Amino acid sequence: MAEMTVTVVTPEETVVETTASSVVLPLYDGEVGILRGHAPMIGRLGYGEMRLTVDGKTDSFYVDGGFVQVADNVVNVMTNRAMEVGEIDFVSANEHLEQSLGLTAKGDEGILTRLRSIEQARAQLRLAKKAR
Amino acid sequence: MANPRQLDKRRKSVKNIRKITRTMELIATARFKKAMDRASAATAYTNRITQLVADLMKTGLTVSHPLLEPREKTQNAKLLILTANRGLCGGFNGNLIRAGLKQWDVLESVADNCTLEVSGKRGIGGMKYRGVVAEQQFTHFEDKPRFDEVDAIAERYLKAYAAGELDRLDVVYTRFLSPAKQVVAVETLLPLGSLAGADDSDAADASAGTPYEFLPSPESILEEVVPTSFKVKLFKCFLDSAVSEQIARRVAMKAATENADDLIKSLSMQYNRARQGRITNELMDLIGGVNAIS
Repeated sequence: MAEMTVTVVTPEETVVETTASSVVLPLYDGEVGILRGHAPMIGRLGYGEMRLTVDGKTDSFYVDGGFVQVADNVVNVMTNRAMEVGEIDFVSANEHLEQSLGLTAKGDEGILTRLRSIEQARAQLRLAKKAR
Repeated sequence: MANPRQLDKRRKSVKNIRKITRTMELIATARFKKAMDRASAATAYTNRITQLVADLMKTGLTVSHPLLEPREKTQNAKLLILTANRGLCGGFNGNLIRAGLKQWDVLESVADNCTLEVSGKRGIGGMKYRGVVAEQQFTHFEDKPRFDEVDAIAERYLKAYAAGELDRLDVVYTRFLSPAKQVVAVETLLPLGSLAGADDSDAADASAGTPYEFLPSPESILEEVVPTSFKVKLFKCFLDSAVSEQIARRVAMKAATENADDLIKSLSMQYNRARQGRITNELMDLIGGVNAIS
């Protein structure tokens, strides 16, 4: 099977370093699927699920914003946080959502921060629900 | 003549101290290894970001971001000093405090309004003693600084910078160069000056970069990269500081253990000599007594 190298790094650790046949990533406005031979690309990531297929088995991760760089069948994912879906704490994600919904936003910057926070919490919740 | 019992007591206490310093040395060594692993993991991330920036540069994009441009007038400056929570690590904290004070004077001469933030109990105490009170204090950074925690601080700086409440941010920390060499460094993190890797762009141009597709656009990615790069830099400072602290402690404790060894040796010698001297004296007394009787 056609494979490519995939690495997922966060500032704290290298989460994944493997060869995979396919990666699906959450971009800022929707998902992107990457297979071998993908055109070089730099993209901005959103919050959501990353699906990594290795040997026909699909693993699911939560990624928290960042960037992806694709070139020469090497996929680099740089994100603030990446964890396996099973590790998401449903209760704290729920709290996070309520908290961010309760925020009052001031100015453009504030609105953006609030939206981001809500989006982040919702993505976590969605994934946590899916995993259960 | 020294009292053998006293000497023995001293020797025992030195032995106990040696046990402690030796243990601390071992602990510091173990922690250093862990901290080192984390630091190298962070390097992987930094390298990738640098690579990304270099590739962005190749698109011929002019880099302009508020974080990169120096302000015309520096009104509000902030100094962040990263020290340790604990002592017993040689000159580690002292050097940082000294460098911090120097930089504090520099900042006060250029900016009207200076604020100080200190991480680590030692630094907080040291600066207070010297009459500079830290506005913000962090004591929750141990040998494993977490990105979330640094992120929160970075986020606050970025916000203040965007709002114009902050014009310059300097960080005083111990930079880790190699396991054998760490130096106290002063770095201006805001404004960022240049993006890491931006300087190499000329060299990279020659090798005609891959034509990347940008989603959504180079500008938008750049907008996101610049704050990230700042956060990573700050995180790196914290990591370097943590690693250096462990090294400093290991070195200090190693020296202490060696000193204790020397002390034990010389005390043992004194003790043995005193003991023997006493026995000889007693013998002499005995012989003298026997001679007197007969």
